[in-house]
Amino acid sequence: MYVPPKLSRRKLIRLGAATAGTLALRPFGVLPALAQSGPSYRALVCVFLFGGNDSNNTVIPMDSANYQAYTSIRGALALSGTDLTPTVQDVNGNPYAFHAKLTEVSSLFSSKALAVVANTGPLVAPVTRAQYQAQNSPLPSNLFSHADQQLAWQSSIAQGHSPTGWAGRVADYIASQNLNSSKFPSFFSVAGNSLIGTGASTQPVAISPGGSLQLAGFNSSAASQARLQSLESLLTLHTGASLAQAANGIMADSIADANALSAALAKGTALKTTFPTTSIGAQLKQIAQVIQVASDLGMTRQIFFASLGGFDTHTNELNTHNTLYAQLSPALAAFFEATQELGAANDVTTFTESDFSRTFQPTSGNGSDHAWGSHHLVMGGAVQGGQIFGKFPMFELGGPDDTDTRGRWIPTTSVDQYGATLSTWFGVPQSALATVFPNLANFSSSNLGFLG
Amino acid sequence: MSNSGKIIAALALAGIAAAAQSTEAIPQMTVRAASRVLDQATWGPTPLSVTQLQRMGLENWLNWQFSLNTSDLPDQPLLDPATGKTNTNLRPVTAAFFANTVTEPDQLRQRVAFALSQIWVISHTSIGPAYAFPPYWRIFRDHAFGNYADIIKAVTLNPGMGAYLNMANNVKANPTKGTAANENYSRELMQLFTLGLTQLNPDGTPALDSNHNPVPTYDQTVVTNLARAFTGWTYPTAAGATAKNTNPQYFIGQMFAVESLHDTSAKPIFNGITIPPGQTAEQDLTSVIQALMAQPTMAPFISQQLIEHLVTSNPSPAYVQRVSKVFGDNGQRVAGDMKAVITAILTDPEARAGDDPNAAANPNIGHLREPVLFMPNLLRALNATLTDTSAIYNDTALMGQDLFNPPSVFSYFSPSYRTQGGLLGPEFQIYTTQTAAERADVINAALYGKLDKGTTIDLSFYETFNTSLETLLNTISITLLHDSMSTSLYQAAYNAASAQTSKLAQVQAALYVVLTSNEYQVIQ
Repeated sequence: MYVPPKLSRRKLIRLGAATAGTLALRPFGVLPALAQSGPSYRALVCVFLFGGNDSNNTVIPMDSANYQAYTSIRGALALSGTDLTPTVQDVNGNPYAFHAKLTEVSSLFSSKALAVVANTGPLVAPVTRAQYQAQNSPLPSNLFSHADQQLAWQSSIAQGHSPTGWAGRVADYIASQNLNSSKFPSFFSVAGNSLIGTGASTQPVAISPGGSLQLAGFNSSAASQARLQSLESLLTLHTGASLAQAANGIMADSIADANALSAALAKGTALKTTFPTTSIGAQLKQIAQVIQVASDLGMTRQIFFASLGGFDTHTNELNTHNTLYAQLSPALAAFFEATQELGAANDVTTFTESDFSRTFQPTSGNGSDHAWGSHHLVMGGAVQGGQIFGKFPMFELGGPDDTDTRGRWIPTTSVDQYGATLSTWFGVPQSALATVFPNLANFSSSNLGFLG
Repeated sequence: MSNSGKIIAALALAGIAAAAQSTEAIPQMTVRAASRVLDQATWGPTPLSVTQLQRMGLENWLNWQFSLNTSDLPDQPLLDPATGKTNTNLRPVTAAFFANTVTEPDQLRQRVAFALSQIWVISHTSIGPAYAFPPYWRIFRDHAFGNYADIIKAVTLNPGMGAYLNMANNVKANPTKGTAANENYSRELMQLFTLGLTQLNPDGTPALDSNHNPVPTYDQTVVTNLARAFTGWTYPTAAGATAKNTNPQYFIGQMFAVESLHDTSAKPIFNGITIPPGQTAEQDLTSVIQALMAQPTMAPFISQQLIEHLVTSNPSPAYVQRVSKVFGDNGQRVAGDMKAVITAILTDPEARAGDDPNAAANPNIGHLREPVLFMPNLLRALNATLTDTSAIYNDTALMGQDLFNPPSVFSYFSPSYRTQGGLLGPEFQIYTTQTAAERADVINAALYGKLDKGTTIDLSFYETFNTSLETLLNTISITLLHDSMSTSLYQAAYNAASAQTSKLAQVQAALYVVLTSNEYQVIQ
């Protein structure tokens, strides 16, 4: 059973001190503190689909005009019949179908625990096909490049290279308000380093699912402790070598986080929810286990990062999607079930990101090439489920939503809006949004409404 | 620590090595200088290799290394004999890879080949058959000291790359089916293997337009057009099979062209160049390679990455410029001469500055040992013996680098990844709180337990030199730290060792503290 986090007296004192103005304020300045009025616990969980998920085949509008255009243009990639889930209707009665291997996702949509945010991608500002082709309005740097568009999604700064990610900047905000009562990082990755969790003043913790940060080979003997002390003493020394110092910082974090994490996880109880024995299943299980002991870690706000790779489907897309979606969908469903088991379903929102979507027109070898705007999934008890937010593109090669003639959709919703909606629910106030999402003011709305 | 202590240990080491040498010669380099070269150019210094380099001098040593080509990865059966299914077991290949790093003399060739394989990436994550990998690896081994243009051609026609980036069976646009040429190889060839995304100055800094914006090397139209140049190629025909226009996957030999599937229209590509209409697939490939080699941005783009892999993550623009000048012209109007480029990288004053203990220290020199570099270094320094069943790949995978399994064509880590402090630190992309702890645990296993059944280490060398802690630490300074261990590390290792109750435990504790230190993990 999930026990709502209780603040110990010591933690309350620390929070009290925090609101008294002894905070590390940069870069957020003095902002209204949320700690006393906000909800007790909230978590965001990013599932990054590396390689560029062809979301044209994730969810398909099934009204006859759209579906006919879809079938005729997508050719060998078009899904039909048993390739699709049974048609579901959104809350407005419009028909959609998901890829057949996304059965659980479709069910979550029907039960209003999951929504779709359509045609979203990195933008500096809204852009039309004419503007794109004339190259006379600000555009994201290095469109269609994997690495660059991953960074654009993770930084939510589409132009140039940002040294920080948007969730890292949210973590900076959390730290600036001392919303968490421990020094344990609020960004937690089970999928390695990622820009999204790198802040200006905060650094992520990364563990392997089921792994431990505790160093092997030590006991309480004097000989052993002398060796450990020697190791630790070197981590705080500045020898003048910049990269050695950078590595020292990460190793020191590892040692500091190790004890807190082990002690907290030891208090967890086995989850009843069964997770698939896939990589993404193991990652989401690990996240659920950490959420279970959030209060023991002193956390009231956490952001998690998981990933699933292999979506670069230049060829053989149908088979690849069958494999990957069959991993993704049951893992997401299990994770949602686990949050229900923990009584935290309303406190945890899961969302997808990906490099980009792919050309609507197929490519030689039954695949698709790099494109831009993509459809994304948001899941959780707080999500306004069963709805499509944003707008599907017009399925026409060379049409108004196409950059060229291959169906590379120009996003009509920006990553900034997507991230700002998630961050607002998470507890970032309006006054701090512009720091986290510097391009947000270029868009008409800072809240897409999928979180109430 | 005292200088005399250092000298005694150095002489002792040289004495051991000298026994293996038949000729007498006067050392031309210090232990420190030779060890630094060997950390940049090999899989780690050993007493023997230090002595060799000291006596040969850098130029002769480089020429000797250029002449060696001894390491191979064993060809693998197509089918698993037990199941009759596709053989996807790469273990014998990875075991041979690490054994070669520890024992084969063509050290520089292997290092350069590994660096090239991190630019020209294929991955076992999507290429299942194990037999695809040894032939692909041999491209870099055999061209490591050849010409970059030949690497472009050899990789382009390799069926492993054909499968990985879908150049194999990439057929021209089919209006009936509504398909277009596959853009995958076209894009990554330019973005990752040759030119990069934006134009670079000869010193590696981005070229800027009049509005101070980077200048893209190509745009989407070029990707689409270049993709058409790469249509028509298919897999080699398997032994005993009948050739088809689009052969099934087969990884022995080179891909061949089926002209009926090749797009022969004109292809405007980058920098105003148009591939003429009516050419064959092979002629188009020749045109593309010529066009790529003529782009001045290739020299700094590739030079910077090779410098990062061998010497330092943060070369000065002047260093990059000196190397890229040689990449552009080896002095005989030949571009892409790898022997000249590698020589320029390793003999550059910036690479060599740290050889002199009295030179001003460059705080940004060096790079974090990536796991695949760290393990051979550890194994060589600890006199390891590897067998066919050695499983070092398990350790590097735990530390974030699963050999031959990079997650994508973007390799194990990005050449442009930065540390939180803002410095370039490519290897830091896979250095996390988890993998930092794993490094320490691998060191713990090596010193106190067992790495795996097929790998053993031998600490008796260090026990011999543990006549006093001072001698022991001076010895370790020579074998692991270019004879330049800092006073603070010396003190920390001394403290740990002096708390131990046996001579062996002292050796283990001293080595543990040094190996886990970032003074060692970051090669300076």
